[in-house]
Amino acid sequence: MAKLDNLLELIRSGITNPKELAEKLGVSYEEVEGMIKILESMGYVEEIKFGENACNKCPLKSICPGSCIMFKGKIYQLKKKDFALKR
Amino acid sequence: MGCCDVKNDPKISNKKGLKIVALAGNPNVGKTTIFNALTGLRQHVGNWPGVTVEKKEGIMKYKGREFLVVDLPGTYSLTAHSIDELIARNFILDGNADVVVDIADSSCLMRNLFLTMEILEMGVKNVVIALNKIDLAKKKGVKFDIRKMEKVLGVPVIPTNAKSGEGLDELKKAIVAMIDGKITTNPVIPVYEEPIEREIEHISKLLTGTVLIERYNLRWLAIKLLERDEEVIKLVLNHLGHGKMDEILQHISELEQYYKRSLDIVIANQKYEFIDNLIHQFVIHQGEFKETLNDQVDRILTHPVYGFLSLAAVFYALFKFVFTFGTPMQEHLDALFSNLGEAIAPYIANEMVRGLVVDGIIGGVGAVLSFFPLVFLLFIGMAILEDTGYMARAAVVMERVMRKFGLPGKSFIPMVLAFGCNVPAVMATRALDDERDRIITMLINPLVPCSARMVVITFLAGAFFQEHKALIAVGIYMISILLALLSALLIGKFIIKGEESPFVIELPDYLIPSWKTVIIHSWERSKEFLRKAGTVILFGAILIWYLSNYPVPVGSGLSYAEKLGKALEPFSMLMGLDWKAAVSLIFGIIAKENVIATYGILYGVEEGEQALAILMRNAMTPLQAFTLALVTTLYLPCIATIGAIRAEGGNKWALVAVVYNLALASIIGILVYHLGFFLL
Ligand SMILES: Nc1nc2c(ncn2[C@@H]2O[C@H](COP(=O)(O)OP(=O)(O)O)[C@@H](O)[C@H]2O)c(=O)[nH]1
Repeated sequence: MAKLDNLLELIRSGITNPKELAEKLGVSYEEVEGMIKILESMGYVEEIKFGENACNKCPLKSICPGSCIMFKGKIYQLKKKDFALKR
Repeated sequence: MGCCDVKNDPKISNKKGLKIVALAGNPNVGKTTIFNALTGLRQHVGNWPGVTVEKKEGIMKYKGREFLVVDLPGTYSLTAHSIDELIARNFILDGNADVVVDIADSSCLMRNLFLTMEILEMGVKNVVIALNKIDLAKKKGVKFDIRKMEKVLGVPVIPTNAKSGEGLDELKKAIVAMIDGKITTNPVIPVYEEPIEREIEHISKLLTGTVLIERYNLRWLAIKLLERDEEVIKLVLNHLGHGKMDEILQHISELEQYYKRSLDIVIANQKYEFIDNLIHQFVIHQGEFKETLNDQVDRILTHPVYGFLSLAAVFYALFKFVFTFGTPMQEHLDALFSNLGEAIAPYIANEMVRGLVVDGIIGGVGAVLSFFPLVFLLFIGMAILEDTGYMARAAVVMERVMRKFGLPGKSFIPMVLAFGCNVPAVMATRALDDERDRIITMLINPLVPCSARMVVITFLAGAFFQEHKALIAVGIYMISILLALLSALLIGKFIIKGEESPFVIELPDYLIPSWKTVIIHSWERSKEFLRKAGTVILFGAILIWYLSNYPVPVGSGLSYAEKLGKALEPFSMLMGLDWKAAVSLIFGIIAKENVIATYGILYGVEEGEQALAILMRNAMTPLQAFTLALVTTLYLPCIATIGAIRAEGGNKWALVAVVYNLALASIIGILVYHLGFFLL
């Protein structure tokens, strides 16, 4: 019963909805969240930051052609580190 | 520990030689709250030596005695992956702390105990667990047998509610008693499967002969070696030499072959399982996994079919909201600008200046500015969707759709940003790790109607389709998005397929948005729209005014604008669009709102957007207006977006974007106009 492994495996299979992951693993959503945090601190997943400062860093800021919308949700992706054996 | 770049030297601020209490725990467990409660205002904030991580220290007083409390960075484990973890780990490892207070959030204990085990595994004996947020656990129906927990974990456990201060006196008492040596502990440490344990023992034996034994827990060193912890490898190599180290590494490789993966994940798995078993011994009543309202709503909103329908409904509601509340405001503004033009005109004697100010600036810029309420409301709507947490659900739904079209699911995010402005959206594609995904997302991004194009779409929809304007506007948005997805499929065929790294989307709890933040955010964003009206659009309006009045005013067929438009008319007429549309589209490249501004100037409108709508209604059919709205949305990214694509992808992709968009807009324009002609 390797829960962390199973979680990684499920994410790898393409499930992006954490509630679905929780259901598949038979644990609470909260626990999935916790496992993701642990995996993050171990370097297996990382949070993707989508242009957090895109608007501030925008080269055209002074003649800004529009308006900035930011996406606030957090997205974690598997790191390349993966399950592969290190040599 | 001499193994890392991060050096801890608490003595600097501990001249009195006070006993040291270190606070460890996951982020957000209430560590700061407890730190403040223990130290009151006797605090000092600085940085950890050599790094810009905040270090907080304070003095705790208890029965006339003083202790130095050090707040360690919040972490989920003690690997060497981040600077925070290294700081916390080295501080504890170096034996700086006389007592480590491990603050655990009782409402989500699993992840918290993972850190607890990492601490205990280091061989630290003086640990007190503060079982914080006990009120939240209670609310969830989780109860703890504290005595049993202490027995199982082998260290004192003090339930606390840092918010109300409950349990903090007991915590202080336990800390002091431990410092005074009045409490003996017997910390539990995780036990692993036999092959791992055997290797731990083997490595420990090899390390026994070194000086490491005097400073470190050998079992911990062995485990870290198995995990291939770089810091520990360096440390051990210094003391053991290459020969023995190679032997150890050989063993590790064999064990990795056995488990067919890195040992850090194997060990973490087994540790996790170990904790799972422990927890069942002292958590009396695990709150049932009752499906909350939150979960039920999510089931619908993230459902492949219902979720998609909800998304469409939300979208429609957004536009309904924008039109219902925005149109009246827009009419007021419009009246204001036309009155302004009328009021100012008599005061300007010079005919040329009057023409420039009244027709060019007020007529052109004013027509665009009157859309400010709509843009502001669109941003309010988006901010509400964001703040409630709905966007994350929409991401789950759209992610599936995206993947069907060969797009990475993650590109949903840049697409959302694009509704505001394509430029930051193009820049956000940088977060996509695969080159192919990045290019495709970048190329289809301009097809998502930004707030500037919303102005054109809503103007034309409002002028020509009063009854069904929301539907028509949503229709144009939907067509553009569909074309973006189809383009992804098409472009994907020409670019070599790469791999997307899998991902998860966090679903935050639903929240009722705070009106204050929604309005502040929307205002901040809309301000850009105003600024743009004062710069790019103003510049465009002056240019258009000049070109349409020189050398001879428009209508003569001899103005520069007319000549330019007439030259393009043979082509634009294929889409049913006359020379005025052609000129407008040309100026729209500077900024898409200029399409409206140009029409305003070409028609010489002085009375604002309403008057323009009437004039245009007389000159165009609804079909032509629909085609114009669609072509404006698709035909070319604005200059700024082309610049962004060039900056992110180079000249080649900027050129591809220009050519592709032009071709697509032409094909769609011709198709829609002719099909519409036959059907209507
Ligand atoms: N309900 C409840 N909330 C708490 C408790 N302790 C802290 N909090 C809240 O948890 C949040 C995080 O606390 P903070 O001290 O900043 O956590 P840190 O990140 O670990 O320093 C804050 O909103 C606190 O008010 C507690 O015992 N019960």
